[in-house]
Amino acid sequence: MVENLDEVVVTATRTLRQLSSLPLPVTLISKKQIERTGVTRLNEILDEQTGIIMAPDATIGGGLGVQIQGIASDYILILIDGVPIVGRLSGNLDLSRFAIGNIKQVEVVKGPSSALFGSEALGGVINIITDRPKTEKISGRVSHRAATFNTQNTVVSINQSKDKLGYSIFLDRLSTDGYNLVDREERQTVLPNLNYTFNSRVFYDFSENLSVFASGRYFLRDFDEPSGTSEQREGNAQLRVDHKLSKKTTFEYELYYTNYLTNEQIIDPIDNEILFDSEFDQKLFRPEVRFNHTFSVSNTLTAGGGYNFETLDRSLFAEEVSLDSQYIFAQYDFEPLRNLNIIVGARFDNHSVYNSQLSPKISARFAITPEFAIKGSVGSGFKAPDFRQLYLDFTNALGGNYSVFGKEVERQGIQRLIDNDEITRDPITNEVLLRVPFETLGEPLNAESSVGYNAGFDYRTRNFKGEINYFRNDFKDLIDTEILATKTIGANVFGYVYRESVYTEGLEVNLQYALMENLDLSAGYQLLYAFDKDIKRELEENGAFARDPNRNNQTIRIDRDAYFGLVNRSRHILNAKVFYEVPKWGANANVRVVYRSKFGLTDENGNGFLDDFDNTFVDGYALVNLSFGKKFFKHYQLQVGANNLLDFKGESPFSSLDNRILINPGIQLFGRINFEF
Amino acid sequence: MKTTLKLFTLLFALFAFVGCSDDDDAAVQEFTVTSVSPESGPVGTEITITGTNFPADVSAVTLTIGGVTASITSVSSTQIVAVVPAGASTGAISVTVDGTAKSTSSDFRVLAELVSGTMENLFAPSTSNFGEPAAGPFTKFSFETGDVTDSDTEWDIAFRTTTIAVNGGAVTGTNDEPERNGSGGAAIEDALFSEITSADTFTFAVDGTGAFAIPTGSDNGWYNYNFMTNIVSPLPGKILVFRTHDGKYAKVEILSYYQDNPTSPDGFADPARYYTFNYVYNPNDGETDLTSAE
Repeated sequence: MVENLDEVVVTATRTLRQLSSLPLPVTLISKKQIERTGVTRLNEILDEQTGIIMAPDATIGGGLGVQIQGIASDYILILIDGVPIVGRLSGNLDLSRFAIGNIKQVEVVKGPSSALFGSEALGGVINIITDRPKTEKISGRVSHRAATFNTQNTVVSINQSKDKLGYSIFLDRLSTDGYNLVDREERQTVLPNLNYTFNSRVFYDFSENLSVFASGRYFLRDFDEPSGTSEQREGNAQLRVDHKLSKKTTFEYELYYTNYLTNEQIIDPIDNEILFDSEFDQKLFRPEVRFNHTFSVSNTLTAGGGYNFETLDRSLFAEEVSLDSQYIFAQYDFEPLRNLNIIVGARFDNHSVYNSQLSPKISARFAITPEFAIKGSVGSGFKAPDFRQLYLDFTNALGGNYSVFGKEVERQGIQRLIDNDEITRDPITNEVLLRVPFETLGEPLNAESSVGYNAGFDYRTRNFKGEINYFRNDFKDLIDTEILATKTIGANVFGYVYRESVYTEGLEVNLQYALMENLDLSAGYQLLYAFDKDIKRELEENGAFARDPNRNNQTIRIDRDAYFGLVNRSRHILNAKVFYEVPKWGANANVRVVYRSKFGLTDENGNGFLDDFDNTFVDGYALVNLSFGKKFFKHYQLQVGANNLLDFKGESPFSSLDNRILINPGIQLFGRINFEF
Repeated sequence: MKTTLKLFTLLFALFAFVGCSDDDDAAVQEFTVTSVSPESGPVGTEITITGTNFPADVSAVTLTIGGVTASITSVSSTQIVAVVPAGASTGAISVTVDGTAKSTSSDFRVLAELVSGTMENLFAPSTSNFGEPAAGPFTKFSFETGDVTDSDTEWDIAFRTTTIAVNGGAVTGTNDEPERNGSGGAAIEDALFSEITSADTFTFAVDGTGAFAIPTGSDNGWYNYNFMTNIVSPLPGKILVFRTHDGKYAKVEILSYYQDNPTSPDGFADPARYYTFNYVYNPNDGETDLTSAE
């Protein structure tokens, strides 16, 4: 669907802005697109967008994380109506948590956006914008979708907007039998689970100048753990007051609270002994104030400030830990010349544990003709060290007794191991052998940071839209684990340090063409290079070693050309979509194809990076999705379709003869009936 | 045409000279032997004997090494080139011309050939439970026999899970480790196996209280452990050079920690603690050459 000129987004500037006039790369996923494709969860619709993929971690079947411009999910901020979501496990945020049955659109800003959103927005921001009730009469929807793996999804929603009051109630129930990707594992890759999303929102206008928005969301997911229990719970409460001081000046006051909880307990089925018990309880409370002043039509100042109170209680931590941070930001969006738009902004974050951060950003767009514009931006991003990197105190009793300490607890942790005589000593002097001086343990961490560059042009006519965008993201101070000491039993003690400097660089192309009034074609492509700079330099200067599987695993020398790059990155990602509509029949159909080229999962031969001699590559593959919809009578719509129509299953490089490991569970058929009133 | 003529003239002159000398013994000047190069080498080594007044005819010269006749490749008046014959043993080189024998003042040392081998599936288990300190006997290996050994003294290196001990220095203090009674040691070098051609310049560490000559732990010594895949990979480009219990030298490249050296081990299923390694062993006392046979 070629975007309309009236499409507006809020995430890029925190003000309403026309999508087509923005100087930043932004992807907008409309409600119409979501409905036509028949998908129901955020991860599914993101996976079909140019330059965005859901990437598995090294184990296949583990968590899927969203990747934008080659940047991993740890560095991508997820928002609902502008407020942040918490609850990451090992950096990944499970996007299948988010039902998208009641949303207006999903906005994805690519590239660093910390100048507005602070920590975690290095790689981009995904903002789920919920729908506003519009009709005076009660309107709503009841729908049920049934799909492969006995996946049953029921949605009920009711909306009304009458006089000063508007409300919206949304309920989503999903149950599934899940599926298994690993032959040998008895425990399914995706466990059978049942989840509910409940979201209710109220809009009230006290006057023309004062309005209130309140939203409450609750999510509950219960996994059918074969022996034990596993559940996730999430609550979000948001209260916003919009106050127009004048036609030109607006204040927004916002209070936000969220709590994400998981509880996992595995019990021995025979003697009922608790084998594994893990709790994770993260809370965030955030008041924020924003101010907007419009000097003239395209001349707006935005400023704001807020306070984050965060706590996490986790079984692997010695005690509940908390972090505080305060921030202010400002942005000026103006037109110094005709057809030239410039946005400058910066944000300052002060944090109780890590060093404070200043994140500036500048972007500009120049319309050479009404159809053709060039645009570019430079901005910085950062990610605060997370709770794990600060407070983890973990010894893996089941996996070789290695220990990991977060920065804030490493000094005490090492001291404890020394006192227990667990650390190796120099055989001659009997001094404790540490890889880093004891005095430097626990020195505060800097935030991980990046600078991102985007430059490109777009061209649009009545029925065609083309965009090309070059991007480059330079990351420094990426936090990595390092060996602090070795235990007398041979196991290592790990701590967190900065080590890696990586970059991602590439090109994104988007083409949309309305072939006929009701036939839209689109295609997208991303070319990506993602490397660790230090490894690349070392390879260029000195080369490195690998093992040659064709020569009995003997060592060979390799050079720069053999370095494949960062794990989980595909050089090429492609999508092509056709949407067709026959209005007089109330029917529509679409086919969407997504392709990602080969990617590697992990270093295998021990040289510390992914090279051509590692046998851990997943071959490139394509998924074909399609769906058909037709209206019946006045209120009914029937939809049938298939995701992964060609039944691609793939094979993980970790597969073996007696243990097949799949990449994808295969074809998923679905049917949906929808009643709207 | 001109060249042919020259050659013919030369041949004629030579013929005349040889013919002449046959008749005239007094014309033979007494030969001397001054040096031999190299002074040691295994069977098949080409050696050059330098001297004066050697006869021009190969058949006129007999050469023995330690009493065993060697075949002569070429002779000139100042050099004899010969090959160390099979069965030769260390001893003087003797050159005989017309019944006159002269020997080198020092012995030529016939060396045993370097031994190249692959040890497959050396099993290095631990008797302790997973997560507890390793226990149980080390699996000992002797380069001389090219196999595992039960000897308490004639072993060079020993394995238990990922830990490698050398028969030199002192005990480290770990459970059930073998007594160190040899003069072994170890050095870790960054190179291809074939690039290590001598043990000359290396510094050899020995085992001692709390530490092994080959450091334990992931990325510290010879291996990397990837906890996502549960795979122990021998670090590529790490060549272990050993001094054996009796002061000889060997180099080792560990190829795999899994049974039958799979190209792509499955860290959760393949039987682990099975070492496969290539080695080159120099069985000659004091010799540091470690050139791999191509």
